[in-house]
Amino acid sequence: MPIDLTLIARALIFPGFIFLLALALFFDWFERKVAARMQNRMGPTYTGPLGILQPVADYIKLLTKEDVIPRQVNKLLFTLTPVLAFSLFVFAMFYIPIDGSNVILNSSFEGDLILVIVLITIANFALFLSGWSSTNPYSGIGATRILTQFLGYDIPVIILALCPAFLAKSLSFVAIAAKQAIPFALLIPWSFALFIITLQAELEKDPFDIPHAETEIVGGYETEFSGRKLAFIKLSEDFQFLIGAALVTELFLGGPFGPVLFGPKEMWGAIWFVAKTLGVIFILEYIGNVSARLRIDQVVHSNWKILIPLAILSLALTITCEPLLRSIVS
Amino acid sequence: MAMFEEAVSILKDNLGNDVLECKTPKPRRAYILVKLGCHRDAISLLLKQYEQTGISTITGTDLGSEIELNYHMRCGGAVTIKNRVPKEKPRIKTITDLLPGAAFYEREVFDLLGVMFEGHPNLKRLLLPDNWPKGAYPLRKDWKPQDVKSGVSDSEKNSETNGGELKEATSIVNVVVGPQHPALHEPERFSFKVDGEVVVDVEPRLGYVHRGIEKAAEHLMFFQDVHLVERVCGICNAAHTTCFSQAVEDIGGIDVPPRALYLRTIVHELNRIHSHLLLLGVAGLLLGYEALFQHVWRDREPIMDLIEMITGNRLMTAFNTIGGVRRDLDPNAAGKIKKTLEEVKKRANFYKVVFKEDPTLRLRTEGVGVLSKSDALKLCVAGPVARGSGIDMDVRKDDAYAAYEEIPFNVISYKECDSWARLMVRAEEVLESIDIVIYALEHLPSGRFRVRVPRRQPEGEAVGRVEAPRGELIHYVKSDGTAYPYRVKIRSPTLANIISFPTMIRGGYVADIPAVLGSLDPCFSCTDRMVFLDTQNDRRWYWSLEEIKPKKAK
Repeated sequence: MPIDLTLIARALIFPGFIFLLALALFFDWFERKVAARMQNRMGPTYTGPLGILQPVADYIKLLTKEDVIPRQVNKLLFTLTPVLAFSLFVFAMFYIPIDGSNVILNSSFEGDLILVIVLITIANFALFLSGWSSTNPYSGIGATRILTQFLGYDIPVIILALCPAFLAKSLSFVAIAAKQAIPFALLIPWSFALFIITLQAELEKDPFDIPHAETEIVGGYETEFSGRKLAFIKLSEDFQFLIGAALVTELFLGGPFGPVLFGPKEMWGAIWFVAKTLGVIFILEYIGNVSARLRIDQVVHSNWKILIPLAILSLALTITCEPLLRSIVS
Repeated sequence: MAMFEEAVSILKDNLGNDVLECKTPKPRRAYILVKLGCHRDAISLLLKQYEQTGISTITGTDLGSEIELNYHMRCGGAVTIKNRVPKEKPRIKTITDLLPGAAFYEREVFDLLGVMFEGHPNLKRLLLPDNWPKGAYPLRKDWKPQDVKSGVSDSEKNSETNGGELKEATSIVNVVVGPQHPALHEPERFSFKVDGEVVVDVEPRLGYVHRGIEKAAEHLMFFQDVHLVERVCGICNAAHTTCFSQAVEDIGGIDVPPRALYLRTIVHELNRIHSHLLLLGVAGLLLGYEALFQHVWRDREPIMDLIEMITGNRLMTAFNTIGGVRRDLDPNAAGKIKKTLEEVKKRANFYKVVFKEDPTLRLRTEGVGVLSKSDALKLCVAGPVARGSGIDMDVRKDDAYAAYEEIPFNVISYKECDSWARLMVRAEEVLESIDIVIYALEHLPSGRFRVRVPRRQPEGEAVGRVEAPRGELIHYVKSDGTAYPYRVKIRSPTLANIISFPTMIRGGYVADIPAVLGSLDPCFSCTDRMVFLDTQNDRRWYWSLEEIKPKKAK
């Protein structure tokens, strides 16, 4: 059997690993730049044009640093979890259509939406274990906070993700994205707005950046990590951010599908995907910058008392309005 | 003030023969020497009569064969109740049962002078390291720095510094905040007992930046000490120099020209504006609101520029001196100052609205770290912390100094008693301070800006009080007729306020720690005041002033 070069190229280069890595680092830079401008600062300026290479420089620096393993930690978990979390996020990302189809062609199936959400949950659990294994009071509190917060937002995320799935009558990302001649964000704005807020919690951004509230618990679950392991944790956070923004893009904004002006369809798919994701990141950063950090009890309360009922309501509303919405689309 | 004179006469009438000596050298200052042990009667008399009576600090002075204890009470002015205990057996009854707020002051005197306070619930070291040798009391006159070079045995080391013992399986975790921690900008240690996310108890440990400034001050001349006390705290330096100069001027009977008083007021208020803005920004950072932090700090910069323009220095103003100020104000500067302040005022108004209305900020600060009015009075807190608990207390009004008698302004107080109220007090005080500076500029008297003062000061003692940005600051200076002070005692507002922290945080969440601590605006270098210590090797050493001075080429 001949080796399928296209498959390897897609998995490794575009839109696979290298492209995703570059995208995650670019989003990292974009996020920092937006936050800096909103705070009346310059943000990164030194490395590369407009400081665009700053995240790369940061990771290279981290990779060259000494990697300390404290004596008291559970060595297996402590070493394994940063890499595990990172690979789970990358794996999940492979199911998101970036240039019109999945990273590995034809691997999309009915239900990959559920798979991706499951992978994110497991990856979050890996991050919790990484904090738990470091046997440090700050890490311990940070890790329990990940789980506590997770209890709050995981259910609304699933419920809200079902709204677009219901409209598209499919549980596959490609099918959902392809059905959006008019983006679902316009058809069901209530779900879209709620999803953005829940996502803010999922991505641990202000007002929900409780698991690593540095003025309370120093570095949170990542306090004991250094060097390469810290690099992997930070990279998983970048990928988590990428995947969160990608979820919104796919479910509510039509993903990689948009007008093709000239040239190959795949290129335009990637361009639309990146442009829409940048928009989503801007919204997320904006919310993060105009709010203070809430307390964990306030988050759990508001999730169970407000967010979950609202999510169920919005799903009900979507189902009720579905015939009407369908007539608008067609 | 009627209240003050009434208080003094009540003390004289009721204590009768127990009063050995009573001096009232100037309005709102009284020094009453009572028989040993009668200090409790005097203090309970004042407490019974006036609700707002509190203790500012306790000064211990080594008089040779006796140790003099000065209980500085605030009661319309500064009523100092004196007691003398024999140095061989320095024992005295505690007043913590009458006024729990005196706990830290008694510990401080115990720590530095070795006076035993009978009945004190927790008489432990406050400022000195736990393994400091027993029987070495740095503020006694017969103590020499060389005395502690010998080192101490392991048995004297406190287990607490080694992390404490591991408890049996409980859900209570010991979370140590400090000496190095992102929520603290200065080294201090808080040991929190945490059950899940709830704080069960906390024990603060001060002294990480103890520099022995009070001892050092005894070896410098009065005019040099002005620059030493300025270094107690970088942020409220103008408050410290004003306070110290006032105390020395009282001893020497020096009349400060009115222009100097106005100039002092201007710099003092600019100091307050930048200090409050700094804290409001830090509060944003502590609550995870970085955008607010960056914006407030940007708007603090013009104030720093103004201070530089007036005094020549951005932070360490070195503006006040005994007998006036060191530089006159450029006549053209007033216009520029007013223009800048108008700009800052617009921004400060905006921040007031932000703190008042931002829902996330309110969620984090409202009802958090509650210090009820009665607790605040009992613990004798000062400044914005007291005003946030509904106590109308401001040295600028109660015991007007510099030019405050002539300048109209409002004392801001909030009745909510929580972190939010304490932040709002500061946000509004920025606006008041801007008005004070503008008023002072418009009514600036002409004339001299300083008088020459001899190096020697007559024998005597004086209490200087000012309202520093963080609250009531008190300097007690005693002179024995030479150019060097016999005793300088500094009580910075943070020491008065930090005692209320355990009351505020108990039962709160871990996430409330920075919110509450931030609302206290703690400044630990003020609180701790030169000992170098290496706990690993038990090595201690001192640098005398001669060693710090640049060496002359031989």
